[in-house]
Amino acid sequence: MLKNNRSSKIRKLLKKNELYLFLVIIAYSLFITSINSSFLSLENMFDLGKSSAGMGIMAIGVFIVLLSGGIDISFTAIAISGQYIAARVLIASGVDNIIFAFLISCLVGVALGAINGLLISYYKIPTLITTLGTASIFHGALLTIVGTKAINSAQLPDCFKIFGAKDLFILTKPNGVNYGLSIFIIMFIVLALLTWLILKYTMLGRGIYAIGGDINSAVRSGFNVAKNQLFIYCYVGFLAGIAGVLHISLIRYSNPTYLVGTELSVIAAVVLGGTRITGGSGTIIGTIMGVAMVTILNNSLILVGLSSYWHNFFVGLIIIISVCITSYQSKRSIGNIIFR
Amino acid sequence: MVEKLEKLLVVKDINKSYVGVQALDKVNLSINRGEIRCLVGENGSGKSTLIKIISGVVKPDEGEIIINGKKFRNLHAIDSISEGIQVIYQDLSLFPNLSIAENISLNQIIEKKKRLINWKEIRDIAERELCNINKKLDLDERVENISIANKQLVAICRALTQDAKLIIMDEPTTAITKSEINRLFSVILGLKKKGISTLFVSHKLSEVLHISEKVTVIRDGKLVGVYNTEELDYDTLSFYMSGKKIVDTVFNYQEKEKQKEPLLEVKNLSKKSNFQNINFKVRSGEIIGITGILGSGRTELALSLFGLNKPDSGEIYIDGKLVKIKSPRDAIELGLSYLPEDRLNQGLFIKQSIGNNIVITILQRLLNRFKMFDNNKKYETAKEWVKDLNVITPSLETVAQALSGGNQQRVVIAKWLATLPKIFILDCPTVGIDIASKSNIHNIIKELANKGIGIIIISDEIPEIIRNCNRIILLREGRIVKKVNTDEMTEDKLLDILARKSN
Repeated sequence: MLKNNRSSKIRKLLKKNELYLFLVIIAYSLFITSINSSFLSLENMFDLGKSSAGMGIMAIGVFIVLLSGGIDISFTAIAISGQYIAARVLIASGVDNIIFAFLISCLVGVALGAINGLLISYYKIPTLITTLGTASIFHGALLTIVGTKAINSAQLPDCFKIFGAKDLFILTKPNGVNYGLSIFIIMFIVLALLTWLILKYTMLGRGIYAIGGDINSAVRSGFNVAKNQLFIYCYVGFLAGIAGVLHISLIRYSNPTYLVGTELSVIAAVVLGGTRITGGSGTIIGTIMGVAMVTILNNSLILVGLSSYWHNFFVGLIIIISVCITSYQSKRSIGNIIFR
Repeated sequence: MVEKLEKLLVVKDINKSYVGVQALDKVNLSINRGEIRCLVGENGSGKSTLIKIISGVVKPDEGEIIINGKKFRNLHAIDSISEGIQVIYQDLSLFPNLSIAENISLNQIIEKKKRLINWKEIRDIAERELCNINKKLDLDERVENISIANKQLVAICRALTQDAKLIIMDEPTTAITKSEINRLFSVILGLKKKGISTLFVSHKLSEVLHISEKVTVIRDGKLVGVYNTEELDYDTLSFYMSGKKIVDTVFNYQEKEKQKEPLLEVKNLSKKSNFQNINFKVRSGEIIGITGILGSGRTELALSLFGLNKPDSGEIYIDGKLVKIKSPRDAIELGLSYLPEDRLNQGLFIKQSIGNNIVITILQRLLNRFKMFDNNKKYETAKEWVKDLNVITPSLETVAQALSGGNQQRVVIAKWLATLPKIFILDCPTVGIDIASKSNIHNIIKELANKGIGIIIISDEIPEIIRNCNRIILLREGRIVKKVNTDEMTEDKLLDILARKSN
């Protein structure tokens, strides 16, 4: 019985896409390390973690939208709006405080997310069309109303720079160079954990799964679907607001035309992580691994000696391959159901 | 006093009309505690309106509803649920992506207005209810991975978590096999012992009749009557439901002239875990019935003949010539047609006009000499078929969605007949179709056979097979267990052979 139980657990594990993605990441990392030994160093890992934390946080948002059976392509416009408005307000008011920056950026994020949420939940407009439209509106409004001027490093309030350089702890390499674990990574982990808790242990979270599974059944079961959807898009806005601040702190520069245009690679990372584009299925671990895969790929091409233009090509290739595998698996399991 | 409490639900003189149509006209229904009742009527007879009124979704224009002795002027859905009335719709309203445990328990958790999830509680509730109906299922399995019969049990368990006193099941037996139906019935009988009533709603003369104690029949929004099940047989019930005497004639096959080669011959056709060593012949003018429970490989076999399910080995001959059928296109060119079981999703372009649906298989033939589409030709062709098959429709431009099941099926048949097939495979041709249309479709099929088309009917409705085919092939677990001429067979014998495996 016990043995049986264990073997069925192993079988379940083998069915999970996450496992295969994990193995691919490991194999690929080893391959890159064999070419350039510095790749798998702790320093490089910390560095990769820091630079991809912003993308990771946005990916969490995309993950829960996909889970609910929707799609959001306006989150990059929201992130840049939050970032740019926060930076402008800090400069104008003279308040040089990172908490204040987060507050403004997240407030902008939640407000814009709420617009998405209201359109989707009350007017029942398809999510793709809604966010396609609002992405344009948000970005257009930012550029015309707030401005188009970039904020360079000299104008940037110090709090962003300090925050961007903040490490949780610092290690020293044998050659005397210091490196550390960035607070960005901690924020990413905390937000991932928070999202996981919401999804697993609250009715709100189960409601997101339920809506993604079958929206009509969710209504009949008594879930407040409209409220749930409103929450989802506000939460995405909130996460985008945070990602916006991380981005400005990382590159010490803000240009209101940045970020917009990168939404597809974030969605790609989430899909790569095994989240079904049709909704209802996916895990936060998978999402994290999807982001890791895309980041590693991006970083390693230069190490291997390929132009970074190859990045898009490979991301696309990996997505197609992974979707093919998933589709093949589900085809097989359908066959199994018929003859059970 | 006790007498009164016996009655769980009383519905008195219910009237309901929608813009100009009297959907229900003075309908009465009363159900006792622990009673198993069947509500039958053809499509559009008002069954679903009645159910919606009982569940509080629709308000009646006039009439009384009494549940548990309480009279409701204005029954809301919430009242109905809290009085213990649970409707299990045909689609079951489950969440395919969630576990069995969650599907069973979530409704109760929602009702308790909880904000946080206690996974132990979810599992406990699910376990308790499964235990209640004597069933063991893997609580963590996703519902999308389990059979329809088990999904149904999950839906029943979910209803039980909400203190169900009356479970209303809409068409519960259309998608499950014989042995699964028996399992469902034993669950229902178990609930009866606990004092829980069941109301089956059906437009089929189906198995549910066997375990119901009484049958309420409605027709055109009016109550026809309440009958004890023992008093009813197939013919009287179909008379009550349709108001017409249906005469089904048995099909007699006479070989017109000596045929050298059969139209279709299948030799040793095998596909791993689908079917093994299938051999049979179809001659011109024959109607062959292939039957077996769901999962016996009957549909898979048909799909292989139509180029949709590549066999591993074996040969197919048409007119004595060995053929390779790799795609439906090949099949159509060889003179095969296939009417799929799922009319709505696979048989029709449901949002397209009837005319477009009929000509979709023969677009090539409707081109004029400039290789452009000829709308007049299309119109003429479609009109002819609509007339030939008696499709009742206001115009050729009407969308397929707007037709009744029987008319829709005639459109699908027309669409395939337009290809002028030599061999026509019909997979469950009358599923979900009312009795009058059913016998009309059977007559169409017989006429086609008389014109020399070789016909294969796949069905699990034994009467359909017995009354329409001249030979029967019985499949079980992918193998042919018996090939017989229909005149050597009776319904009971056939049922007996089919059921043998199931345990």
